[in-house]
Amino acid sequence: MIELPSRPDRRTLLVGLGAITAVWVVLGLVFPDSWAGVLLSIAANPSTHTTMLRLAVPIALAAIGGIFAEKSGVINIGIEGLLIVSAFSAIIVTFWLGSGESTLALSHHWWGFAVGVLVSTLFALLFAVVCIDFKADQIIAGLAVWLIALGLAPFVSRIVFDSPNTAGVGYFQNVTIPVLSEIPLLGYLLFDTPPQVYIMLAAAVAGWYLLNRTAFGRWVVASGENPKALDTAGVDVRRVRYTAVLLSGIFAGLGGAGFALGQLGTFAGGGETAIGGRGFIAIATYLFANYHPIGALLGSFLFAGLEAMQFQLQNLGYAVPTELIRTIPYATVIVVLVFVGKTRLPEAAGEAYDGDED
Amino acid sequence: MSEPGTATGGGAGPNEDLAVHLDGITKRFPGVVANDDVDLRVERGSVHALLGENGAGKTTLMNVLYGLYEPTEGRVLVDGEPRQFDRPRDAIDAGVGMIHQHFMLVDTMTVAENIALGNEPKKWGGLAVDRDRIEREIADLCDRYGFSVDPSATVGELSVGAQQRVEILKALYRGADVLILDEPTAVLTPQEVEDLYGVLEELTEQGKTIIFITHKLGEAMHSADAITVLRDGKSVGTVAPATTTREDLAELMVGREVLLEADSDPVETGGAILSASNVTVENDRGVEVVSGIDLEVRAGEILGIAGVDGNGQSELIEAITGLRTPDEGTVRFDGDDVTDWSRRRRIDGGMAHVPEDRHEQGLVMPFDLVENAVLGSQRSPRFAHGGRIDWAGVRDHAEDVIGTYDVRPPTADADAESFSGGNQQKFVVGRELERDPDLVVATHPTRGVDIGSTEFIHERLLDLRREGKAVLLVSSALDEVQSLSDRLAVIYEGEFVDVTDPDTITEEELGLLMAGERPSETTKSEASDLVEGGDR
Repeated sequence: MIELPSRPDRRTLLVGLGAITAVWVVLGLVFPDSWAGVLLSIAANPSTHTTMLRLAVPIALAAIGGIFAEKSGVINIGIEGLLIVSAFSAIIVTFWLGSGESTLALSHHWWGFAVGVLVSTLFALLFAVVCIDFKADQIIAGLAVWLIALGLAPFVSRIVFDSPNTAGVGYFQNVTIPVLSEIPLLGYLLFDTPPQVYIMLAAAVAGWYLLNRTAFGRWVVASGENPKALDTAGVDVRRVRYTAVLLSGIFAGLGGAGFALGQLGTFAGGGETAIGGRGFIAIATYLFANYHPIGALLGSFLFAGLEAMQFQLQNLGYAVPTELIRTIPYATVIVVLVFVGKTRLPEAAGEAYDGDED
Repeated sequence: MSEPGTATGGGAGPNEDLAVHLDGITKRFPGVVANDDVDLRVERGSVHALLGENGAGKTTLMNVLYGLYEPTEGRVLVDGEPRQFDRPRDAIDAGVGMIHQHFMLVDTMTVAENIALGNEPKKWGGLAVDRDRIEREIADLCDRYGFSVDPSATVGELSVGAQQRVEILKALYRGADVLILDEPTAVLTPQEVEDLYGVLEELTEQGKTIIFITHKLGEAMHSADAITVLRDGKSVGTVAPATTTREDLAELMVGREVLLEADSDPVETGGAILSASNVTVENDRGVEVVSGIDLEVRAGEILGIAGVDGNGQSELIEAITGLRTPDEGTVRFDGDDVTDWSRRRRIDGGMAHVPEDRHEQGLVMPFDLVENAVLGSQRSPRFAHGGRIDWAGVRDHAEDVIGTYDVRPPTADADAESFSGGNQQKFVVGRELERDPDLVVATHPTRGVDIGSTEFIHERLLDLRREGKAVLLVSSALDEVQSLSDRLAVIYEGEFVDVTDPDTITEEELGLLMAGERPSETTKSEASDLVEGGDR
């Protein structure tokens, strides 16, 4: 029996973060010209907050989707790939429909958005067939989804645009809710924002409700913990897992397409693509949040907030090497995972269920 | 409970009072006939035991009734109506519920969520689970059948006995009138077994019908109204407990006369093979659970350790076999101080170990029996030639063990997890005892094993003793330690309360010792004579 050094728990982590934040705020207020002061003014800047919300969209939605798949017993590390295909197809469909205002009463951005979600769902379906019916190794199948997406998006882009990057298609407009957007502090944040942010906020609440308050949610949990118990209770495990994986495709698709049309406006297919590992950060986020959809939303704010501050720093012209700054989210992931390594995976996660056995 | 007749005769017309009637059930698997033309007639409101050895086809038969298997031939009648169950759901809808040996519960969910799983009452047009209604219905069921469970408790935190009641409630919640229990006592403590008998009585009084699968004679005799015996997939008779004896039943089950108690003729003992002095062990949480135990096992001797589970037996055995380092004290084996020896050195030195948990420690479940047969011998010159394993030799060895220890089905190519618990146990015991050891440390060697094979394992242990080997035996089955041991140590809270002569001590005295009662002065002096016989 190997003794592991005991790990600080979530409470310690939160207290620690709170203490660091408090020290930072005090230092920033006392020495406004120091690094602490500059960072504090950036953190307090409303535009940092709105950027944070937009950047949280792919992370939060992919994380909520990943929760459903993993809770049902199918570890979907392909959500990075789902973000890529949905973002890319949303952009290219919007581009193909052209600069006209709308087709069949729906604006071209919304058509692109819908197709993006659909494509992501189809990829998730493919992944589900391979993992659930053909009992392939979930990790390898997930990596395959990512690698296919990583190659496919720039490939199609090269055919259409002769470049790994697509042309720009413009952005979703902000949707401003009258009256509510006048609320001090929160109004501009929550009620004067592009549609994908509303979708993200609604999805977190809906995801939580679905998982914790409906019969289907209980079946998902049972399917991931003890599929045989669910089977003998007369519920089709295969169907529950298919539905859960398709849900992960839909949520990731909402995140990828929403991010593409609401934030990027174009799709850069080179290297790690414009998604740039946000799907993997989403996985760290839901583990950090212990599979709680609303926790995952809040966790995505941590990563997105750091990224938003990095953008602001660059805007202000601080000569911080971008390569270094870009490592921040990943370094944060490692730090966070060290702290929450105790997250308990569902008992049957990663295992194909064979109902025919004995 | 109702008075059943001796329901042996076949060929009668449909009987209104039969809750379940299996008529000529045959179930074939590729190469195996698991059930061969089996008839089973279960009267409403009775407890019907299905008795047989491991692999006799009891569970297969019940899986047919529960819709997990489709019978190759034959009819299933419930309440006199022929039914076809394609899946468990159909059986549940017809009022048949099954409580599996390995509980079908989700440990992380609450009692209420588990009970309602798959049958959740909805509200708000299906948008939410009506949790109040689940709790109300559970409270009603508890009232009616005299159960007490907390619906909001997490299942994983309940005792095994309480989990079993949750399983029973789950079946009742689904409206089961016939309850099938697969080896319900295998995992229970004696007190929980008594409670279960009470529950079964309450259920039959309320008109429920119980079928329970067991390989334990005593249970069938004690609690059933009728007993149907299966052997090799065939029904060999249905009897009423009142009109039969244990010996007759055992013979019916095994097909030959069985010695229910092993005979141990005296053997000349030799020098000490294993000796432990002042062994003190802490458990994983750092609590001292073995406090300064001294013991000695001589060649040609079986030392039994009796005690209620959790009094330090596991940790003591782990310290002796090298799975855990003792915090104090020394362990000597064949004259060497082996306290710091690795497992490998101890195995190579001739120490065999039948571990208490075959799943966790005895077998690698997804490995087949050939691969499992080499575990522990993967470096012995018998099977390893220059870093390469001689798989053909290992296969022969595996097949020998399977044949000798009557592992069923007799195939070395199936994964360990596909065998029933009793057959897994036979394989582990066989592998360990056929290592040609000088010392066997066996914990619960016959747990879950049928009486025919139990008899064989006991014989093998006695053979080893006759050959001048030493055996350290830990068992929670009192008759087992009592009939096999030459000396019997009773452990309580990490200390030996007494070391006694198993032939003269009564079960009542043993029970008191196991509860921590110190022996009186007179018996103590007798006991200390015995200790000196071995301990010096």
